[in-house]
Amino acid sequence: MATPAATLRIPRPAATPPLSIVGGGRIGGVFLVLTVLAVLGPFAWILVASFKYQIAIYSGEWPFTPTLSNYAQVLFGRRSDFLGNVVNSLVVASASTALVLVVGTLAAYSLHRFRWPAWVSAGFLGWTLVFHMIPVMTLIGPWYVAFRELGLYDTRIALILTHVTINLPMTVWLMRAFFREIPPEIEEAALVDGCRPLEAFRRVTLPLVVPGLIAAGILAFIFSWNEFPIALNLTSRELATVPVAIALFAQQYEIQHAQMAAASIISTIPAVILMALGQRFIVRGLTLGAVK
Amino acid sequence: MIHYPKIARALLFAAVFVLAAPADAQKAFADVGKQPPITLLVGSTPWYPAFEKVVGMYEDQTGNKIKLDVTPFGGILEKARNAVRGGQSPYDLMLLDTQWTIEFYEGGFLSPLKDIDGSFDLPKETLHYGDSGYWNAEKRWRTANGGKLMAYTVLGNVQLLYYRSDVLKQAGLAPPKTWGEVMTACSKLTDGSKQYGFVVRGEKGNAIRYDWMSVMLAEGGSVVKDPEAGDYTVTLNSPESKVALDQYIELLKKCGPANYGNLGQGDVIQLLATGKAVMGDLVLAAWATFDDPAKSAVVGKMETVPLPRGRTGKSGAVIGNWNAVIPKNASDAQKKAALAFSKWFLSEGAQRAFALAGGIPNRSDVFTSDIAKDPKLRWMPAYLEEMKFARQELGYAEGAQVEQIIGLRLNQALIGEMSSGKALNTAAREIEELFKKNGRKTGMLAALPE
Amino acid sequence: MDFLNRTFRHWSLLPAVVLFVLLTAYPVANLVRMSVSTIEFAQGTETWTFTPLRNFALLRADEVIPPAVRNTLIFVVAAVAIEMVLGLALALLVAGVSRGKGLVRTVMILPILVPPVAIGSMWKLLYNYDFGIFNQALTALHLPPVNWLGSTSIALWSVILVDVWHWVPFVFLILFAAVEALPIDVLEAARVDGATRSQLLRRVVLPLLKPAIVVALLFRTILAFKVFDEVFLLTSGGPGTSTELVTLHLYKVFFEQNQLGYGALLSLALIAAILAFLLVGRQATKAVRV
Repeated sequence: MATPAATLRIPRPAATPPLSIVGGGRIGGVFLVLTVLAVLGPFAWILVASFKYQIAIYSGEWPFTPTLSNYAQVLFGRRSDFLGNVVNSLVVASASTALVLVVGTLAAYSLHRFRWPAWVSAGFLGWTLVFHMIPVMTLIGPWYVAFRELGLYDTRIALILTHVTINLPMTVWLMRAFFREIPPEIEEAALVDGCRPLEAFRRVTLPLVVPGLIAAGILAFIFSWNEFPIALNLTSRELATVPVAIALFAQQYEIQHAQMAAASIISTIPAVILMALGQRFIVRGLTLGAVK
Repeated sequence: MIHYPKIARALLFAAVFVLAAPADAQKAFADVGKQPPITLLVGSTPWYPAFEKVVGMYEDQTGNKIKLDVTPFGGILEKARNAVRGGQSPYDLMLLDTQWTIEFYEGGFLSPLKDIDGSFDLPKETLHYGDSGYWNAEKRWRTANGGKLMAYTVLGNVQLLYYRSDVLKQAGLAPPKTWGEVMTACSKLTDGSKQYGFVVRGEKGNAIRYDWMSVMLAEGGSVVKDPEAGDYTVTLNSPESKVALDQYIELLKKCGPANYGNLGQGDVIQLLATGKAVMGDLVLAAWATFDDPAKSAVVGKMETVPLPRGRTGKSGAVIGNWNAVIPKNASDAQKKAALAFSKWFLSEGAQRAFALAGGIPNRSDVFTSDIAKDPKLRWMPAYLEEMKFARQELGYAEGAQVEQIIGLRLNQALIGEMSSGKALNTAAREIEELFKKNGRKTGMLAALPE
Repeated sequence: MDFLNRTFRHWSLLPAVVLFVLLTAYPVANLVRMSVSTIEFAQGTETWTFTPLRNFALLRADEVIPPAVRNTLIFVVAAVAIEMVLGLALALLVAGVSRGKGLVRTVMILPILVPPVAIGSMWKLLYNYDFGIFNQALTALHLPPVNWLGSTSIALWSVILVDVWHWVPFVFLILFAAVEALPIDVLEAARVDGATRSQLLRRVVLPLLKPAIVVALLFRTILAFKVFDEVFLLTSGGPGTSTELVTLHLYKVFFEQNQLGYGALLSLALIAAILAFLLVGRQATKAVRV
């Protein structure tokens, strides 16, 4: 499908030269550095705490005697299924993210591109938004009953489906915003050139929203990874996810900060790795078929 | 692939064989027979490792399997509710905190223990913990008098007065026996913000409610008149309660840290474990923290005495025990298996093992046995003494709401948003309205001066 | 293939609708039904009685609601405003970074990676009056320590600070993606035409970013209304009622006190409040922007 590139305004591909919109210069740079430090600060504190004994955390000791015992307890302790919990989280988060991205992006594109009657598009978008406002604790009872009836209590499927439901509103709305950023002339040009709707979507539109897909994917993944109340109530010990495992350290009377810190650090590693891989996958997979 | 010489391989196999052979099976603490596997709902608490160990012993001794679904504390109630409300319960035995039991008793979700096995009963040495395991449906009250046995106590938690034996000795002070003595002692021991003489919870909600109630009971106060007889007249705003509240506030203001208004359990433990506070009102379940060098800077220096008495010599302590219940919608065979485990758990051998592993036993004979001499278990005499007067509180369906009301108003009095008299009056009025709405026979005392 | 193309319009929307309706119909119907009922348990079974007036009366008589609503509004407005401004500024700044954009993005999203229960617990330690790092720093500088979580005037702002730390990455992520997708030639054309930096920003960039800003604002607002974990662990709604939020109160009513009917009504009231807030917000921005 040949297209005269000169007449199309194609946004930049992923790796691009810097875009100096807000000059700021020095002030901007200082502000950026300060913000990064402010963001990293508490996180670094958690990292340091994971190597401290509980008493050193209590008394805010500095310097302190480091220890690996927290990590040992979290990973290899007698009552620890932590590695199994990490695997559960990886499976559930990856599957629900993939599913919600596919389903949500298609839906967002459909609503954006095709003429649907107002009651369909406004209805669906409105329904997802209102549902997003419902506090999750009120949904757990009915979902528990429903999944138990279906024999899906304590399964990964139940978690994946509920996570997709929770994340669908944001994914649809977000992708819709990114689709709206694309000038309509691009797609129309492609169609005029003889592209079928599906091809136009895959070859022209989709590569243009790669940044959006990455953002939506990261968010869906993180929300699924950190989701707590549903995971707590729809699973028992073997299938519990990482947030449930970490909550075990918030005991009835006191919080075991040292182990909680270690567990939190461990839990960010697979998430970061997976997101980096996911980003690369999306970028490669979609821009390969793009029109240059 | 490394090739070991033949002899070495034979020796290796033999060693593995010998080491893998089961150790001499212990004589079972109680004879319970062969049972199907069961699943227990347990919360993540400081004494869970001890419980887990004991359950392991049960499995070794009897060959019966138990699955422990250890759950974050914040999630137990929800899981328990879900389990009993639909189909077949995924749990055969659930451990419920005392304030949750009323809901399950009233809702009829549990199987009375004797209905599962008529011969089951609590050993006579078992402490009674205010009869929290009995339910009299007619009176809607937890009492052995006309009540059915629904649960037994797995861990009977109470608060004790913790103090630093070294600090008190150096100051020439004896451990306080009354709340007045606590005030005198802590004033001497407080040194600006370098050392706090006494700490207790001030945080809004369950924290301040639970801790304050021991003082209230010690001064002769109460929340309702006679709930067992059906008289829900609110007696919260009595002069005795005001004395207790004023004392509580003074203690925190004079001897506690500046952020007394939101001191929670974790904060109290932190202050005691770092040595910054030298006396505190704290749950026994936190005991193990102080002798653990990874968690405490005061190893071996903590002692406990029963909670102090009030002006008139009365004592007060509120029990916060974990009760084991069996859901009605579990299968019959598994209910029997759960009961069998319970019988084993209540035996002297199991309770001894539980105490040695770090739990709190529920039998008087274990307390008076030789293990009380173990320095790790030096809290036992204080505990046994306190169990003579410790009681259950808020044992009615409105318990959670009453707690929320009291917990808010007390905190507001503490931080100075209202006077202690006004706080008690307001709380009493709100509680009376609540009882009225629920059709209870109720009334109120004359208002305190505000 | 041809069939797929002809029906693309339908099968692209259908999975989302089917999935969503299937999974949300029952819980939402259940919630609505609960809100007008009183649910009691006896002999192991539930009895539902139709009592809409009783539930509304409970709502009206609830004394904790007014301070809760006030605090929630302050929280939402303050937190979301700060997060949007910071997030936008960061997105624009990072776009100008020549090397290490990916690294900065990974660093910036670390706060949302930490599980909520850990965030609440850790920040509680940071704010600790005697041992927390903030007060330790203040004391080292010979300044008086601050009662971060125990003072009725400061506590809510301490909570807001935690929320800002936690959620600026969310806004940043969305807006940064939008900035990355800006059509470079439009910007080049404008600059060639002689636009100044501030004109470029106001007349070209911001309008192009509008859809993303709206989505970020919309979802951040809804999530701010629903905030729970951080406040629960940091202050439990105290001291007094200074950090009492609607979701905390809902938790106590629906969950701790097991008042399912009234709790359901409370959640519907919350949704109505959020909708009202969003509508007011939309009218306000329309009036301002014109």
